[in-house]
Amino acid sequence: MKVFVLGATGYIGRRLMDMLRATPWIEPTGASRGHTLTPTEADTLRVDARDPVALAGALRGSDAVINCVAGSAAAISEGSLSLVQACQAAPCARIVHLSTMSVYGPAQGLVDEETPLDPSLGWYGRAKCEAEGHLSRFVHSGGEAVILRPGCVFGPGSELWVGRTGRWLRSARLGDLGVAGDGWSNLVHVDDVCRALIAALRLPVAPQHTPVFNLAAPDSPRWNEYFTDLAVAIGATPVPRLSRRKLQLDAWMTGPPLKLAQLLLMRLGMNPKAVPDPMPPGLLRLWEQHIQLDASAATKTLGVAWTPYPDGVQSSANWFLQKYRRAGTVMEKPLWTH
Amino acid sequence: MISSANSIPNEACLEPDVCVVGGGPAGIALTLALSERGFSVLLLESGFLKADDKTQSLYAGEVANKQLHSPPDKYRQRRLGGSSAIWGGRCMPFDPIDFEARSHVPHSGWPLSYEDLLPYYPKANALAEAGRFSYNAEDALGPQVAPLIRGFDSSRVRTSGLERFSCPTHFGNRYAKRLQLAPGVDVLLGANCTGIRLQPDGRAVRLIEVATLSGKRFSVKPRATVLAAGGLETARLLLASRDVAPAGIGNHHDVVGRYYMCHIAGNVGMLSIHGAPDSVRHGYELAPEGVYCRRRLSVTHSEQRRLGLANAVGRLHFPRITDPAHRSGVLSGLFLARKLISYEYSKRLNDGTPPTLGTYARHALNVVTDPIDTTAFLTHWLARRTFASRKFPSVILRNRTNRFSLEMHGEQVPQARSRVTLSDKVDAMGMPQLRVDWHYCQADIESVARSLDVFAQEFDRSGTASLEYNRSTLEEDLMRFGAYGGHHIGTARMGRDERSSVVNADCQVHSVHNLFIAGSAVFPTSSQANPTLTLIALSLRLGDTLSRRLRPGHALQLEEVTA
Repeated sequence: MKVFVLGATGYIGRRLMDMLRATPWIEPTGASRGHTLTPTEADTLRVDARDPVALAGALRGSDAVINCVAGSAAAISEGSLSLVQACQAAPCARIVHLSTMSVYGPAQGLVDEETPLDPSLGWYGRAKCEAEGHLSRFVHSGGEAVILRPGCVFGPGSELWVGRTGRWLRSARLGDLGVAGDGWSNLVHVDDVCRALIAALRLPVAPQHTPVFNLAAPDSPRWNEYFTDLAVAIGATPVPRLSRRKLQLDAWMTGPPLKLAQLLLMRLGMNPKAVPDPMPPGLLRLWEQHIQLDASAATKTLGVAWTPYPDGVQSSANWFLQKYRRAGTVMEKPLWTH
Repeated sequence: MISSANSIPNEACLEPDVCVVGGGPAGIALTLALSERGFSVLLLESGFLKADDKTQSLYAGEVANKQLHSPPDKYRQRRLGGSSAIWGGRCMPFDPIDFEARSHVPHSGWPLSYEDLLPYYPKANALAEAGRFSYNAEDALGPQVAPLIRGFDSSRVRTSGLERFSCPTHFGNRYAKRLQLAPGVDVLLGANCTGIRLQPDGRAVRLIEVATLSGKRFSVKPRATVLAAGGLETARLLLASRDVAPAGIGNHHDVVGRYYMCHIAGNVGMLSIHGAPDSVRHGYELAPEGVYCRRRLSVTHSEQRRLGLANAVGRLHFPRITDPAHRSGVLSGLFLARKLISYEYSKRLNDGTPPTLGTYARHALNVVTDPIDTTAFLTHWLARRTFASRKFPSVILRNRTNRFSLEMHGEQVPQARSRVTLSDKVDAMGMPQLRVDWHYCQADIESVARSLDVFAQEFDRSGTASLEYNRSTLEEDLMRFGAYGGHHIGTARMGRDERSSVVNADCQVHSVHNLFIAGSAVFPTSSQANPTLTLIALSLRLGDTLSRRLRPGHALQLEEVTA
C-alpha cells in the first residue's frame, strides 16, 4: 500500500514514518512544509499542504494519506480543505486524519465518539472541528476517511508533554496541583497513536460512514499523578504543591512578558528557548477539566495494545534526562501512584 | 451531581442502589468507588459545602466527665468533607499486630487481617494526598537518609517508622467536583437521616427517613445502606432507630455504643540525647513527592507480644507549652495567642490550671528575650503553613539542646463500660442527643509506662541518650487533656460473634443483611495510628464488597453469624 504522510517531520509524523518504513506492506512517502530533513528522510518531500494543486501532484498514485499536520489554525483548517480537494483530484481514496480531543471543547465526564463537537474553547479546537467538517464533505462525495482523536500524545521526544513539562517541574513551576490538576491526562503514547494510524489504513469502511476513534491509554492517570511521577523520575524533587492562584499568576502575569521575550528573540534570530517557557492559560483549564476519553472502540476495532503508563513515563523520563543532562536524584522506584 | 435536599419533593421516595449516610472521608471514598463500578449512589450529607451553625448544633450532646472528653460537637464537623475540614492530616496504617487477638489486650482481634486491608491502603493514601504508601524511612526518603538518632540501633525499639501528612486535605473541597461529575452519584446537602426503618422481621432495611432543617421530609429505599457518619453519630443513628428493634439496630446484645475508644496521648519525660544536635532528626522531612514525613519510636511487635504491651508510638517533642520554664519564645507566643486558635488546636494550650499574672509575665518575657527564634518561627509558619497549599504540619522548634519530651500516642484497651448512649434531650430534628462516657483504665497507663521503660533501657544500652520520666505523674501527664480529640473508635465494633460485636468482617450489621457501616466505629481496637487512613482503606474495601454483593442478579445474602 502506498501511503502518503502529511506532517511527516512533526513529532508524531517522524515516529510514524519510522514505523511505516518498518511495515512490510507499506510503501511510505512523507511530506513536510519546510523542516530540515535528515539523511534517513530521503522519502520525504517538501510540499505545502495548503496548495491543493501541488499536493494533488504529490499524492498521485497513493492509496491513502495520513494527515498529521500541526501548526496554525490556517494550517490545520485550510490544510485539510486543501487535502480533501487534492485527494479528489489525485485521486486518493482514503484519508486517515489525526484530530484531537480538543474537538469536544469543555465536555467533562466519560466522553465517547458520539459526544457532540464543541468548538468553543479556542482556535485549536475550532480549527480541528473545521478540519473534521471538511473531511465529512469528502466522505459525502464518495471518499473514505477515518478520524482519530488522541488525548495528549507523549513519549520520548514529546516536547509538549515531556520536554516543556519537565522543565516546568524542574523549575518548580509545576507540581502537584490539587484540585487544579485533578483532570484526566488522557495521555497516549506516541507509538500507540502510530499503531492506530496504521491500523486505520486497512480498516473496512462502509460508504458514507466515517469511523472515529478516541485515543487515550485506559490507565492514563489524572494530571497530578503524571506530574508527580514524571518529576520523581527526572529527579525534580521534592515535588511542590502549587495552588491554582500561583498557577494563574504564572500564566497571566509571567506568561505575557515571557511570550514577548520569546517573540523578540525569534525576531532577532536568536533561540527563543533561552527564556523560560510561558505557561499558556489554556493549559490551566485543561489540567482541571475532568474529561476522560473512552477509547474502548480503538481497543476493540483497531486492536490497539496500549503501552503501559509506567513504561511510557519511564521512557519519557529517560529521554528527558538524556536531552537535558543535569545531575538529579532519581528514585530507584518510580511512583506509580494511581 | 450535588444538590440541596430541599429540591426533593416532600414525601418522595428515592431508590438508588446504595444510600450512604455521611459525606466525610469514608462516605466520599466509598461513593466514588461505587460509582466507578457502575452503581447509583445517593450520598446524604447533613451539612453543606461550608460550615453552618444550625447544622453543627445537631451534634450537641453531653459528656459524663468534661475533664476526660470534649463536648460531642467539638472535633467533629457536620458538612461535606466531615471532620477532614479541620483534621491535622496525620496518616499511617495500622500495624499487623493491631489485627491480632492478643491475650494482653482484652477484646482484641479483628475478623480480618492486615493483609486483607493492605491492597486498599495505597489508594487511601492517594485520596488523602499523603504520597506513596511507604512508611519506612529508608524506603520513603532514600537509603542515604540519616537515622532518627545517630548511633542508636536497637532490636527492641524501631525508629525507622514514619508518619506522613496529608495537605491536610479537606475531602469536601477536594472531591466536590469528582462527586459532581461521578456517574450515578447524587449528593444531597442538608439531608439529615432521622431514622433507619427495618422490615418487620428486623433483617433488612426497609427505608431511610430523611429530613431537612426547613422541614422537608422524604425517604430512601436503597438496595444497601451504609452508615458513614463518624464514630459517634453512627452509634447514635443505630441506637435511635428503635421501632422494630427496641434496643436499637444491631444492639440485641447491648454492644452498640460500647467499647468506645480514643487514644492515650500526652507529653512525658525528658529525653537527653548525647552528642551534637545535628545527630537528631526530630522534625519533618520531605519525601520526594513533596509530602511531609516524621519519624517515630515504637516498641517492636515481637517485644510488644513478649512483654504484653499495647501498641504505642512516641515522637520527639518540645516541653509542655503551658509551663514558661521552657524559656522558648515560640512556645510562649503560642500560649499567649491561644485564644486566637480554634478549640481543637488550642486545647493542649489550656491544661486546666488557670494561669496567674506571673505566668503571663514569664511567657511574655520568653517572647521578648527570644526574638530571633520567634521571628524565624513566624516567618517559617507564614510561608510554610499559612500561605502554603501543603501545610507544614505542626510546630517544630530548632533543636539547640538535644533535650526533648516524648509525645506518646497509644491504643487503649477496649472496655464495655466506655460508651456512648442516648440522652433524654433531643436536637432540632427530634433526634435524641448523645451522652459520652469515655473511660480509660490503669492497664492503658501501665502499658505506656512499660513502653517508656523499654525506650529508656535501649537508650541506656546504646549509650546514645537517656530517658527519664516520673512514673507517679505519668497518669496525670497522659490524662491532662483527657481523651485525644477527634478519634472516635469502636462504637459499632467488628467481630465474628454478634454477642460481642455489631458488624462482621464485611462491615455488615450482623442481623441486617443490607445495612453496612463505614468508618472508625467498626474498629475493634484503636492501634497507635490515627484512624483516618485506615477508615478510608476499609471504606474502599467495603466498596469492593458491596459491588460484589450488589452485582446484577446477585441478591444480598445474610451472612451466617457465629453463635
